[in-house]
Amino acid sequence: MIPDPTAFRQAAHEALDDPRLKVALGRLKTHFVQKRADAFERYGDFAALRDAGATIRDCALSNLDTLLEKFERNVTARGGHVHWARDAGEARQIVLDILRSADAKTVTKGKSMVTEEIGLNGFLEKNGIRPVETDLGEYIIQLRHEPPSHIIAPAFHLNKEDVAQTFRSAHTELPPERALDERSALVAEARVMLRRQFEAADAGITGANFLAAAEGAAVIVTNEGNGDLTRLLPRTHIVVTGLEKIVADMDDVSVLLRLLTRSATGQDITSYVSVVSGPGDAQDGPKNFHVVLLDNGRTALLGGETGEVLRCIRCAACLNHCPIYNSIGGHAYGATYPGPIGAALNPGLLGLAQAHHHPNASTFCGRCAEVCPVKIPLPSIMRYWREKEFEAHMAPKAMVFGLSLWAFAARHPALYRLGARVLARVLRVIGGRKRAIHSLPVLRGWFVARDFPAPQGKTFQEMWRAR
Amino acid sequence: MSARDDILRTIRARKAPALPRPARYRRVLDDDLAERFATRARAADATVEVLESMADVSGAVAGLLRARNMAACIHLPPGSAVAGLDWGQVRVLQTPPGPEDVAVALAPLGIGETGTLVFPAGEAAPASWHFRPGFEIAVLRVSDIVPDLETALSSLRMQWPHTINLVTGPSRTADIEQTLELGAHGPKALAVLLVRV
Amino acid sequence: MPRVGLFVTCLVDLVRPSVGFAAVRLLEQAGCTVEAPRAQTCCGQPAWNAGDRRNAEAIARSVIDMFEGFDYVVAPSGSCAGMLRRHYPEILKDDARYAERARALAGRSYELMSFLVRICGVARVDASWEGRVAYHDSCSSLREMEVRAEPRTLLSSVAGLEIFELSDPEICCGFGGLFCVKYPDISEAMADAKIADVTATGAQMLVGGDLGCLLHLAGRARRAGVALEVRHAAEVLAGVEGPAMGEAGKGDVE
Repeated sequence: MIPDPTAFRQAAHEALDDPRLKVALGRLKTHFVQKRADAFERYGDFAALRDAGATIRDCALSNLDTLLEKFERNVTARGGHVHWARDAGEARQIVLDILRSADAKTVTKGKSMVTEEIGLNGFLEKNGIRPVETDLGEYIIQLRHEPPSHIIAPAFHLNKEDVAQTFRSAHTELPPERALDERSALVAEARVMLRRQFEAADAGITGANFLAAAEGAAVIVTNEGNGDLTRLLPRTHIVVTGLEKIVADMDDVSVLLRLLTRSATGQDITSYVSVVSGPGDAQDGPKNFHVVLLDNGRTALLGGETGEVLRCIRCAACLNHCPIYNSIGGHAYGATYPGPIGAALNPGLLGLAQAHHHPNASTFCGRCAEVCPVKIPLPSIMRYWREKEFEAHMAPKAMVFGLSLWAFAARHPALYRLGARVLARVLRVIGGRKRAIHSLPVLRGWFVARDFPAPQGKTFQEMWRAR
Repeated sequence: MSARDDILRTIRARKAPALPRPARYRRVLDDDLAERFATRARAADATVEVLESMADVSGAVAGLLRARNMAACIHLPPGSAVAGLDWGQVRVLQTPPGPEDVAVALAPLGIGETGTLVFPAGEAAPASWHFRPGFEIAVLRVSDIVPDLETALSSLRMQWPHTINLVTGPSRTADIEQTLELGAHGPKALAVLLVRV
Repeated sequence: MPRVGLFVTCLVDLVRPSVGFAAVRLLEQAGCTVEAPRAQTCCGQPAWNAGDRRNAEAIARSVIDMFEGFDYVVAPSGSCAGMLRRHYPEILKDDARYAERARALAGRSYELMSFLVRICGVARVDASWEGRVAYHDSCSSLREMEVRAEPRTLLSSVAGLEIFELSDPEICCGFGGLFCVKYPDISEAMADAKIADVTATGAQMLVGGDLGCLLHLAGRARRAGVALEVRHAAEVLAGVEGPAMGEAGKGDVE
């Protein structure tokens, strides 16, 4: 499945017709939305915490160069290596070169949206290295050759029968008559199968949830512990991360961590938070530690009108609360980052020609901005992309024409009043005795699945004057 | 021009004027630390037992294993802080634990806010041992519980380790139908022995 | 007596003037004098949300001009009030002549029901209406104008009216201005979810504070064959009789 954001309409349409997806999406409300609300209610201080979070992120972004240099110095001082990649191609090559020089043949991987963004797995496979995803959700979709559909829960669109069927096809060495009806059986099987991979791996690749400059640390947040087994057992550990993830120090990370886990899964903290500051020692941990800092369009957004998107800590709260995401799921967006953060980010990372649907497929309901733990003004940024699209004459011609007529009338009150009086009467007549209009030759999108309640027949203005 | 130079140059040209560091965000919790630790750890599916002294640890460990019908056998890394306890009938191995084995570790710090164990990696405390076994038993002195992560990390600054593992409850996943299952890759169970002295 | 400029809204003016008259009645009952400036047309939101900055700015300036001098500007719509209160200052922040005036207008702009309760101190209305009603919060009322309790306060004072809460009052109904015609199938799914929530409460009537949402939901219910009366909350509060949206009946405006 090659993701294509320009196919949004068709993909969304198919998603709306998928009853299994609908069941999965129903879980967003109970599992993510409710749990997040409960967690912040218990915490009691969401407003102050998110103010602190937003400020920490803004401060870091305004000092991005000095923090990255400081991070690099501290990692290097402990024997690690920092690499800089301008784009996806450079990042992929850096990773491949590290793996080759480490003579790595088997590679395990923790969950990382950035590696998805740069298409790392496909590239490594073409070069003879198959990285095994170890996050359970990622493992499942890797076996199914599907992309993730959610930033935190990549396989949420699947049910346990799908997973059982996938495991039966993939784990052919296990007895076929074994029972896989229970989720616990599926998890137990994955535990066994992946433990072998962890032990055999020559190298482990993870992302990082945060980077701390003062300590030269990468922070990896998981519930499964797969990130740790990925990085601790092999000789080489490679962190691939967006360079915007950096903050000044671990105190800043501590604040953001409180926001991340509650926003993402409603947990006060995840089972495992690992602060990684370089290669291990003689007995324990990787001998080689590499951090690949990825740009891939991020610095182009820095300091610009949409710069706040770089605050994002990838919690997925915006997705979980978005009514559009709740209707169509993640695959329909055809991009690594779906939902509101995708709508704000993708026109910048992928360009408007590719990603124009994302900021347009929004009602600006504002729920995303309400829950964003770092106060990114998401609808405002989406509106900005629409403005860019309009200025570049990329918006649909019919809509632009209709709007220009409307705006002209709105700026000429006498003409407007006359037009409104005529329109009110005409539409009332069309509505007939049923008082509802079934279709019109304009604004056809309305009538696809709606009638239009007929106007009352006179305008307020004319009746008001007549009083 | 190297990628590094290119990227740094772009950042310097585009970044907003440097903002000053904000005031530290601190949240003061006035709970009893040990109580809060125990409550939060249990909420994360760890079991918590309070013991009067380190002398009770080996008996408590033996009890935990019996209750789970597990063999009275634990793994301790060479030089472990709890190696010197009288383990009595419990067999002690120094090899790395397998996915169904039991490991015991002393947590030098605990975080009251979240019920979290703080494990700085070291020669006698390999990081991977918190993820290898099927059952991890952690020993934590009540006096070593600090209020929050910031405090815990500040006490590690003098000898910052290559890895700090913050462990809260056993391994878990909700990746299948958003329903919680324990023991995804790390330990299926975590027991904390809180020692008063 | 406070002088209120009624911001009628383009939808009320064109489609359902009875909402405007209901608003006038409520405001006069609350002790305000009400005028509806003749030159008003639209708040400019369609242009603003579509990225047409030039027209949005021009419309905003003309609205500021025509509503000069009123103590308050009140709209029977969270969305249009939100445009004036939240977005005009943003749109005109770089305009030397209008920036301050935009902020001043914003500070005097209100959604109708929250204006009645918060500013006029109205706690109850004299209307009566027998029926089971569900209330729909529009996103802009909730998030731009922070209107939540006030419509419920007023509606619960209507004799004979039973109000039911939706199981998910905070989720968007799928109108979203041009969104509903740009992405009709997604909009339809969102409307269906909202309508199902309404019918699950057992309510026969849906009321709300934003005509756009209500027309979208009424139109979808009708097409889908779901029996549901839809009215603007102001009409119920003012005891303005007449058919619900998309229905014929006694009191039809001729």
